[in-house]
Amino acid sequence: MVKYILKRLVQSVITVLLVVCIVFVLLRMMPSDYFFTEDELMKFTEEQKYAKLQRLGIMDLCAQCAGKGDIEGSPCTHCEGTGYVNRNVFAQMGDFYYQMLEMRVFNAKGKEVKTITPMPVWTYLQEKYATGEDPFAGSLKEGYSLRMVFNLGKSIRLEKNQYVTDVIATKMSVSLELGLIALAISLLLGVVMGVFQALYKNGIFDHIGTGYTVIVNAVPHLVIYTVIMIAGNSLFGLPMRYDATAANTGLTKVLPIVCLSIGSTAGYMLWTRRYMVDELNKDYIRLAKLKGLSTRKVMFRHVLKNAFVPLAQYLPYSVLLTVGGSLLVETFFSVPGMGPELTKAISRYDLNLVQGIVLLYASLGILGVFLGDLLMTMIDPRIKLTGKGDVR
Amino acid sequence: MKKLLALVMALCLVFSAVSFANAAELTNLNTYETTARELETWNIHYSQAAADLNVLTNCFDGLLTNDNHGNLKPNAAASYSSEDGGKTWTFVLNDGMTWFTNDGTVQADVVAQDWATGLEWVLNYAKNDSYNASMPMEMIEGAEAYYNYTKELTETEGAEAAYALTAEEGSKFDELVGIDIPDDKTIVYTCVDALPYFPSVATYNCLYPLSAQLIEEVGVQGYRDITWEDMWYNGAYTVTYFENQNQKVLTASPNYWNAANVKRFDTVTIKMVESVAVAYQLFLGGELDHVSLEQATLQEIYNDKANANNDNLVQARPTKYSYQMHLVYSKNLEDGTPDTNWNTAVANENFRKSLYYGLDLTNYLARTNAINPQSCQNYVYTGNGVAFTSDGTDYTALVRAELGLDYNSETYNRYDPEKAAQYKAAAMEELAAKGVTFPVEIDYYISGSSTVAAETAKVLENIFSSCLGDDYVKLVTKTYISSLANEVRKPRLASFFINGWGADFADPINFLGQETYNDTAAYYSNNYSNINDATDEDLIKAYQEFTDLTVAAKAITDNMDARYAAFAKAEACFLNHALTIPCSYEVAWELTKINNYSKVYSAYGMQAYRYVDWETSDVPYTTEQMEAFAAAYAGE
Repeated sequence: MVKYILKRLVQSVITVLLVVCIVFVLLRMMPSDYFFTEDELMKFTEEQKYAKLQRLGIMDLCAQCAGKGDIEGSPCTHCEGTGYVNRNVFAQMGDFYYQMLEMRVFNAKGKEVKTITPMPVWTYLQEKYATGEDPFAGSLKEGYSLRMVFNLGKSIRLEKNQYVTDVIATKMSVSLELGLIALAISLLLGVVMGVFQALYKNGIFDHIGTGYTVIVNAVPHLVIYTVIMIAGNSLFGLPMRYDATAANTGLTKVLPIVCLSIGSTAGYMLWTRRYMVDELNKDYIRLAKLKGLSTRKVMFRHVLKNAFVPLAQYLPYSVLLTVGGSLLVETFFSVPGMGPELTKAISRYDLNLVQGIVLLYASLGILGVFLGDLLMTMIDPRIKLTGKGDVR
Repeated sequence: MKKLLALVMALCLVFSAVSFANAAELTNLNTYETTARELETWNIHYSQAAADLNVLTNCFDGLLTNDNHGNLKPNAAASYSSEDGGKTWTFVLNDGMTWFTNDGTVQADVVAQDWATGLEWVLNYAKNDSYNASMPMEMIEGAEAYYNYTKELTETEGAEAAYALTAEEGSKFDELVGIDIPDDKTIVYTCVDALPYFPSVATYNCLYPLSAQLIEEVGVQGYRDITWEDMWYNGAYTVTYFENQNQKVLTASPNYWNAANVKRFDTVTIKMVESVAVAYQLFLGGELDHVSLEQATLQEIYNDKANANNDNLVQARPTKYSYQMHLVYSKNLEDGTPDTNWNTAVANENFRKSLYYGLDLTNYLARTNAINPQSCQNYVYTGNGVAFTSDGTDYTALVRAELGLDYNSETYNRYDPEKAAQYKAAAMEELAAKGVTFPVEIDYYISGSSTVAAETAKVLENIFSSCLGDDYVKLVTKTYISSLANEVRKPRLASFFINGWGADFADPINFLGQETYNDTAAYYSNNYSNINDATDEDLIKAYQEFTDLTVAAKAITDNMDARYAAFAKAEACFLNHALTIPCSYEVAWELTKINNYSKVYSAYGMQAYRYVDWETSDVPYTTEQMEAFAAAYAGE
């Protein structure tokens, strides 16, 4: 098992790195005009455009003419007189991975005071150990702390010059809170309703549940959200948008949570019913019933337990996915979460933010599937992840 | 007659005031922005985006601001003057201005040297990445030399060397740049030439102050990345809450130097909303104090007399942008070869004039303003309110007079089918002789992902077809994926662009200077019309005539009325040759508790969003009340 876990972890790291590399290269294959807004293209001088691209690490000063654009009065042929040339994409990628190892220095109040690149840190540590000094003593005495962080660079558009890791951390916490509450609600409602649907197949519960599932999946979500927003406000006086400064912040989260949970409730309901109906038709359930077990025991001890196995596989994935938020709900209710961040970062060509979010999502996706597999083996010991026969 | 009109307006105001006697002013304003327009940086020197500056203009006071008519008005500067016709400008600061943090803690006095520090930051290549550097470089003596010096220093000795530069006495900046600080209250700018419009640049962030003490405290990198929690304010509001994509709360600064003289809200909450449709729901729920209306919502309210908001529909004031159909004179086909058919046709003046007079744009304008499309009509090139003569006449009125337009926005329409038919007949004869085939295909590009643009394009197609005839021209709508500039403008694929220009400073040269012939600084000539690559002699002659008139007008600096009259002649020449086709203004409809005519109005720069001296009501204004405000405003 340990060997399997290690193997999967190595595979996961390689997959994540590959995904990030592909995204990295693709982003840099775009024409440079995409890094500017139409307004910037209109008002920026060529000089401003080059300065920005150089700062983004996409262009370099031309080595041939040292950025002057001409050599002895004639336009430089290497850079066509612009003074700038495109930077090698592998050099850019090298910088990206190098900066991920940077250390950020925070003061006693937790406020960042500077960033140290890997090489000076390494040199600093070597020097201190060579003289037998405690390398961190000086820093701590001054009230500073060294913190190793993944430095994914700074946002270049959406939250200009703010660290991508900081942007993600702030937004992630909001999405996580709402997402986990919504997930708990939908799990509870979905599974309970699914059980009742299976139990009273073709009865009133089943019809209500099926009707709900059909409506949720058939009606465009924005229409449903609009109805919930207007009804929630006019009938119950609930605030129509998320507001962390409101006197009762909790109330402003109600409508987004309801909207977040309606879709997944229908999903859990549908699959619980389906797996339970499947299990109910199996021989061991008939035998249990014949042996005189009560319906309650049959349903919850045997049917639900076995029906829950395929659902459980996706549970860690769903939990981790809450970090990513919901594009529609969060945009609709102005929730400052992760949901709209990736699409916004892509549409504004915020390279570092796109890379950071892709890295996060790829890691979460792979981790979610991996944990799902492990969880399944824990719930159903018959499932083996290793071995030469029926391995997954 | 004028007295009678003034009396009627005054009575209207009295009646509206009486009927509104029970309404109270708002103390906390709730406004909105759509999520696509979220602020990106808190560094006012580092931004050129309206989404940032609309907020930051409330946090900092520049030297000058505008009043509700668009006139320049002292702000941080108590007075300003020029003794030599505009070559040097002296600004004298008010007393008692301080820098403070967002909780109101005073950090330092605002002194004249802060303007030098701010300009040094803007012109320093390493510090500000050239943001906002172009205007000072064009206008202030030595600014370009200093910018080049910092660029060279950055490239040869690295950014740290340029970071270390300051604006202190004896510094390289002090030596090169035309800004003198004789004492703590006085700033003297020396311009590259006599620039009578230079004070209007003092409303813009390129000439905003920056405390050297703040730089010392947070470092150069710290100021580049400054946040609302760390920055120092000197303006009417401080930011007391910010959550990206959610909301910002601006609170009236407790230590604001001018608190006694300006009316402010206690708080202004700027809520981010997914769309205008959501904003409308929030307005109905009482969570917003104004909302612009989409056409569908507008028509629904307008057509339903029983709708609670039917009486509250008000027309907003036009934005500062003047939209034109920019004709392209050197167009390519998709295979990269010149589109000879179009290039020959558009070079013909009769062809251009047939478009100029032959297009009835009413249905197109209705896409912006379905109730009153005529209010969006645009007949000139320069935007409204950019410049005024000594008797207060808007410069665009001079252009209309030069064009001989009996202008009345309610009735006048440039569309003249008879004239257009004559020009069409002449053009067809002349162009057929040159081998042009009919119908001439006119390529018009829109974003492939925009259904609104697709619907608008369909309207335009119908206008071209019904007004000019399918035997003459055919509008072909094509799409681009992501960037108009990259996919269409650079390969020169479009026959025309509809584009709006808003001024940066108060002079017609900011508009006309973008169209001059053989001028590398002329934005539209180089990036849209491609006139410099055109070969038709008559066309070049027309452009040269316009350019000569513009250059001559620009040279007049001692008499502003004469300057504007000369510019009006140049603009009329541009339009009489139909070198562009004036298209529209943006005039939306809204529901609002804000008197639009009390707000700062600025046809240039960044002052229009200052939340000071606004008249408001805690219930939405009615159509009649807003019309009374408009009438009173026009008579002021």
